[in-house]
Amino acid sequence: MNLIAKTTVFYLLVSVLVFGIGGYVTYHVVETEVIKETDFALYDEVQDMADDIRDGIPLEILRRRRASIEHVGDHLQIDTFYRFSDTIAPHPYREGETEPYRKLEAVKEVDGSFFHITITDVFIESDDIYDVVVEIIWRLFLILGVGMLIASFLVTRWLLTPFQRILSSIRGFNIKQSEPLDLPKTTTREFRQLNAFVSAMTERARRDFRTVREFSENASHEMQTPLSIARGKLELLQETPSLDQEQLRLIDDAQTALRRLSKLGSALLLLTKIENHEFRAQHKIDFSAIVNACIDNFEELAMLRGLPVKRDVKPGVKVALDPTLADVLVSNLVRNAIRHNQEDGAIEVHLDHKGLIIRNTGAAPTIPTRDLFKRFRKNQQSEKSMGLGLAIVKKICDTNRLSVNYDFQDGWHEISVIFPTNV
Amino acid sequence: MKLLIVEDQQELVDNIQAYLSRGDVVCEAARNFAEAQDRLLSFSYDIVLLDLMLPDGSGLNLLRLLKRMNPETGVLIISAKNALDDKIKGLELGADDYLTKPFHLSELNARLNAIFRRRRQQGHKVLEHGCIRIDTDTREVTVSDQPITLTVKEYELLLFFITNKNRVLTKQVIAEHLWGDDVDLLDSFDFVYQHIKNLRKKIAIEGCEEHIKTIYGLGYKFTNR
Repeated sequence: MNLIAKTTVFYLLVSVLVFGIGGYVTYHVVETEVIKETDFALYDEVQDMADDIRDGIPLEILRRRRASIEHVGDHLQIDTFYRFSDTIAPHPYREGETEPYRKLEAVKEVDGSFFHITITDVFIESDDIYDVVVEIIWRLFLILGVGMLIASFLVTRWLLTPFQRILSSIRGFNIKQSEPLDLPKTTTREFRQLNAFVSAMTERARRDFRTVREFSENASHEMQTPLSIARGKLELLQETPSLDQEQLRLIDDAQTALRRLSKLGSALLLLTKIENHEFRAQHKIDFSAIVNACIDNFEELAMLRGLPVKRDVKPGVKVALDPTLADVLVSNLVRNAIRHNQEDGAIEVHLDHKGLIIRNTGAAPTIPTRDLFKRFRKNQQSEKSMGLGLAIVKKICDTNRLSVNYDFQDGWHEISVIFPTNV
Repeated sequence: MKLLIVEDQQELVDNIQAYLSRGDVVCEAARNFAEAQDRLLSFSYDIVLLDLMLPDGSGLNLLRLLKRMNPETGVLIISAKNALDDKIKGLELGADDYLTKPFHLSELNARLNAIFRRRRQQGHKVLEHGCIRIDTDTREVTVSDQPITLTVKEYELLLFFITNKNRVLTKQVIAEHLWGDDVDLLDSFDFVYQHIKNLRKKIAIEGCEEHIKTIYGLGYKFTNR
């Protein structure tokens, strides 16, 4: 239920309450007024009768239905009085039914004689007042309800339009882009506040993101120089003639750690550069040639591990990709196929205009396959790998409209890179 | 060999100088573009070791200048940027080789020697070490004047040993030299041992003294004795 529907229902509930109380009050006000007016009329009639008696009109003529006049004597002890009361009398037309009447009993003095006058008049029934009040309230409520529903519909359409646009702008927000959010101009104060808040927040998020990105690029790059120096110093230390076996081993272990660190730095740097879109596909490249060159490069290492590479590469496959990235992409996949392989295993590379498929034998993955593309997620047994190869592959694919999938079946790992179909 | 190192990182220059000066290399250093330009205009070098990223200019411009003035000088580019573009551009402009930072000093030494040999006059391309003689032009190897047949890897291994004689070469360094950076893909470097065993056999059969000294668990050292 949206905000407007909720508000409408709430207001309708409130109006039910208001109209209920309003109806009750109206009923009583109308009833009181009716009694007052009826009493007035009766009083006036008594005055008229007294005047008529004074004018000498005979009592017989003045007596009529619901009016009685009696001469009660010339020296009445009681004072002149009026008494209003409700009474019930038979209905004039309907047999057996009664009707409420208003009765006025009065004793009037006319020229020293006292007359007892009783007048009854039809009294508007409280039932009738009730019906009328309910009828009016009900119609008003209906008009109000329909009005509110229409208004709420229009309000949603019109008043909340800026809000909907703000929402869709936020939904389309991309932290990597630098264009400001397209926020609608509005006169509503709340929306203006929301706009200001949203644009300040997104700007801040972008600035932080940029800072982090720049930092990681610079850090990875600047790291290489001291690493280079340290590695050189260790190599020089290794040359010292007096070193014994154990000391040489320690130096070698330090070298191994430094080598890992420097490879890690380069991999992170590459990842950041891809993220920062520093590689742009200028034109289509001969992907077949890159795949072939890459397999040529790795074939010897694969053979050293006893892994035959079966290649099925269609010539002339063109893909819009930066040549460096293409090389990194294929190299990483082939490298993985060699690293995560087994004794007497095999590697298959298949390329056609639809995509590149690299298959290799190997133990089943020990982590969920979705996580394989995340940074630093890797199978336990592969301690030499850094866990960045597939993250780089994924990043290259994501930034170049390629899709990459992983599958494991019957002891075969299969990674497929699918080219966009519209080219 | 007279070498000019164009590199802005003093520590790196120190490393290279310390390592190479143990051989017969005369090293000079230039810390920036202007200094390198001055030196190149005033002196001639066998090889220039060139960092592409200098604080006051691009190494590629220096390379153009050098090739115009003294095309005989060999150039080895060292760069932290592992960018394919730079590499191709550098080689197109006439650089002999390209090495990405960080690198092994022994690898640098081997590359420098290879460039030096290639650029020297005919007849000087022969390496001699004890009873071993290598003609780097024809790739012929003789031990005590007897020709021996080596596989490509064994030949490269022997060359690497001789250019880095008396230096400790770890199995990792040897493996990377022969098979490239991706050698980490292999579970062990036992195959290095296999190649060394074969090489030893081939040069020992001919009655030459044992040259390849094993440093147990670590690597090897090619010695005079």
